[in-house]
Amino acid sequence: MTESPKPARTKQRTKYMNEQLKYLQSALQKNPELKYTLVLNLWQTDFLRFYQSQTNYNISKDSSSLNATLYKGKKSCSFNIDHPDHPKIDAALAAALEMIDAMPEDPDFVDIEDDLTLAEPRQIVNNIEAFSLDKKTRFLNDLATRAAQYDFELYGTFICNYQRYHLLNSNGLDKTSTLSPIYLEVKAVHKDSQVTVLQTFGADDFKHFDEAAFGESLLRKIVLGQNPVVDVQPGEYEVILAPRCVAEFAQYLSFGMRAQAVDSHNSFFEGKVDQKLFPAMFSLTDDPADPRMIRMDYGDQGHIYRPLKLIEGGYFRAFMCGQYFHHKLGLPKNGNLGVCLKVDCGAAKLPDMIASVKKGLYISSLHYMNFINARETSLTGLTRDGTFLIEDGKITKVVNNLRFTERISRIFENLIELEDTAQTIPFSGNYAEFSVSSAKAPHARVKGFNISSSTRTI
Amino acid sequence: MKEKIQKIIENLAAPDVSFADVRITFTDYESIFFMNANLRDYSSSKGSPAIGIRVLIDGCFGFAGSKDLSDASIQRLIFRARANAIHGAKFQKEKLTFPELPAVSGEYEYKPEIDPFAMPKAEKLDYLQRLATAIKPAGKIVHSYAAGQFERQEKYYANSEGSFNHMIVTNTLPMMMVVASDGKQTQSRTWPGHMSAGRAGFELFHQQRFEENTERIIQEATDLLSADVITEEKADIIIGAGHLALQLHESVGHATEADRIFGQEISYAGKTFVKPSMLGKFKYGSDILNIYSDSTDPRGLGYHLMDDEGVPGRRVDIIKKGILMDQQSSRHIAHKLGLQPSSNMKASFADDFPLVRMTNLCIAPGKGSLEQLIASTQRGYFLDFTKTWSIDDNRNNFQFTTEIGYKIHDGKITGIVKEPTYFGITPEFWNACDAICGEEEWAYHSTFHCGKGEPGQVMRLSHGVAPARFRDINVSVKM
Repeated sequence: MTESPKPARTKQRTKYMNEQLKYLQSALQKNPELKYTLVLNLWQTDFLRFYQSQTNYNISKDSSSLNATLYKGKKSCSFNIDHPDHPKIDAALAAALEMIDAMPEDPDFVDIEDDLTLAEPRQIVNNIEAFSLDKKTRFLNDLATRAAQYDFELYGTFICNYQRYHLLNSNGLDKTSTLSPIYLEVKAVHKDSQVTVLQTFGADDFKHFDEAAFGESLLRKIVLGQNPVVDVQPGEYEVILAPRCVAEFAQYLSFGMRAQAVDSHNSFFEGKVDQKLFPAMFSLTDDPADPRMIRMDYGDQGHIYRPLKLIEGGYFRAFMCGQYFHHKLGLPKNGNLGVCLKVDCGAAKLPDMIASVKKGLYISSLHYMNFINARETSLTGLTRDGTFLIEDGKITKVVNNLRFTERISRIFENLIELEDTAQTIPFSGNYAEFSVSSAKAPHARVKGFNISSSTRTI
Repeated sequence: MKEKIQKIIENLAAPDVSFADVRITFTDYESIFFMNANLRDYSSSKGSPAIGIRVLIDGCFGFAGSKDLSDASIQRLIFRARANAIHGAKFQKEKLTFPELPAVSGEYEYKPEIDPFAMPKAEKLDYLQRLATAIKPAGKIVHSYAAGQFERQEKYYANSEGSFNHMIVTNTLPMMMVVASDGKQTQSRTWPGHMSAGRAGFELFHQQRFEENTERIIQEATDLLSADVITEEKADIIIGAGHLALQLHESVGHATEADRIFGQEISYAGKTFVKPSMLGKFKYGSDILNIYSDSTDPRGLGYHLMDDEGVPGRRVDIIKKGILMDQQSSRHIAHKLGLQPSSNMKASFADDFPLVRMTNLCIAPGKGSLEQLIASTQRGYFLDFTKTWSIDDNRNNFQFTTEIGYKIHDGKITGIVKEPTYFGITPEFWNACDAICGEEEWAYHSTFHCGKGEPGQVMRLSHGVAPARFRDINVSVKM
């Protein structure tokens, strides 16, 4: 216990895993009748959780895995090996080779990915090492001290991931990519009223992190959170949606822009390419190249990931489509994933947007949305982390969290104006490996937003 | 492996470590997914390893987890877990209290009737292909899938108090769905709903009568295309057991996870409207409502000899005769609340940190059959098969849509409605419960997919329920 082992040796792990990948590839090359896709994934996180302005716990996790999908004609099977070694690879491959002939065919399968385009090389810093745990702790301690002056305590997470993947297939595709996203989410909660406000930061480089600006913005929201708390009746409201809300609604809207949704007859956009569906101010791009996004080089099958206009001046332009559905549905292939969505800015200033609302709501964040009918884009969800009443152009009160039941298509149809600047919003994937992605959006003013009930709580 | 894990515990011993525990898991997994009668995905993994090391130093936990069980990796994890605890203590106002427990040990292995990992693969594929073919697109059916997921997990647990546990379980999740379209709208039906998993092997497909229900879901999905919607503002509703399991899960299960009281899950999962002062007093539901957490029942996915911090399995009354009595808790939080720990600290895999999780959360059965309950209902709806679920940050305001509703007039089913949607406030809703069916309708309904925590974890857990009736519920949500 007295000797400190050296920190995680990323290079050694990478070298070891590359050897396993090559070993599996060599074994597969002895079976020329097979096609294959192999993915090596190295992932690491340092995760600080805090509550009541103190540490909840610090977590370090890493994983290394090798995933293979084998194809024999139209038959296929996949296997995954965590922390692989040669005996595990031999056993998994033997089992797969024994099984593949017995697999039923998928007549819709034509070929694996054949886009060999390589992304421009980028210098990726390992952000786990760039911002130490000590530095995180100091930053949060300072912020907690400032929030405490208003009787607010801090809750949230400060996360840095480091991920490297290597994807290759029997069509000659051989691509590697590295990601190191940063995710900081700070909720300030009043000790008595439980009024909550939220500040987040997401990027793939700490050079974008302005500690002072982050703190100032949170404190401005804390001051707003000191207003009295009221409830509002169900009904249609003019609302100012914070960038986080606009981004999240855009994400849900984009489900219908995926080829899978067309295939399962769940797409709102089926048969609507080049139709005008929204006001001209609304443009949506899947933009993995924007330097203020958490950038990505390739889609999940290895296709180059490039900016794609999804909605342009209110017109729906394209579905996001990979190799499989390109062949099955005849849609153009682009390999886009919709995890870098960007809503174009408008021309309005936020203070003017708020000033133009006679009676309405400012909504900071959304919670637990779920489709009622995906094809119709109908869903329900709730507001969270700061809902405010706007009266005569001013934020006057805090409002209990509210439930809305809406069609997302209607929300964007009802756009009145968009702010002239956009914010980067980090989103976390909470259902498996902890992935972090981002979206970018401005504030939006929307009419007729349907509040269906109150939660009666903050 | 027992020697290995105990050796790690020995290596963790140090004057500054007040508690430590180690978990190791090996997980087999297999997934078969037929879409539109074609095999779209077959994937598997065997013996996936994971290890997690947790230490309590200076009143703060530190954790490190990995898939790498080598000696070098374990040394690194010990170092990281210690460093994380020591750094964490620098941002702390109140040291974590963790009362000692006596050492316990145990071994358990569940053996399914039809081991999904031992049965011939061709047999499994053939069964699912026949099922998928029976529901393949035809007529108004435009999309379908039939799927099975199988998991076997072996877990070792040891802690610095001398506790040790070794457990092997097998779980299965079967599912099928059809989507019908008339060109303008789509409607879907699943079988047997979203809580279809079980502590079982391949026999679960037979127990849940998949083959007997393919025609039913095709017919109902098709009929829903021309069905009405509910027009009333309020109605009496009977909720089928599969969907009631989710209602219980969202509005009682998560609401009574005690870590939420202290805001430990605010960042992602949320808080709760429950306050410590409500214990023993708060009228959560009607007098007939009895809800308990029972990790001692081996029929459910939440069964264990001890939880992931060494608390022996327990049955705890959460709500008794409608009154909130207890919480699902950890050792630390139970101590803060003056309660006994409820044996609810669980992690999905060994490289995940344990959280307060539901195990087997159940509504005690009442009396009578579903048929009798429908017969005793003058006007209302029987709702089942979850379509949409949503609940607020405090677990107070929920809204659910089911795939189908069956109209009840004068005690008889007279037709169907599409996308029936109801909403309510948690305690008002449970206080409106006036009938719960009896033992003959009571069963476990289980899921593989309860998401909580950051980094995210998906937990396998169960709910024992029977259908129940709720009076005068708001069904007025219209689009």
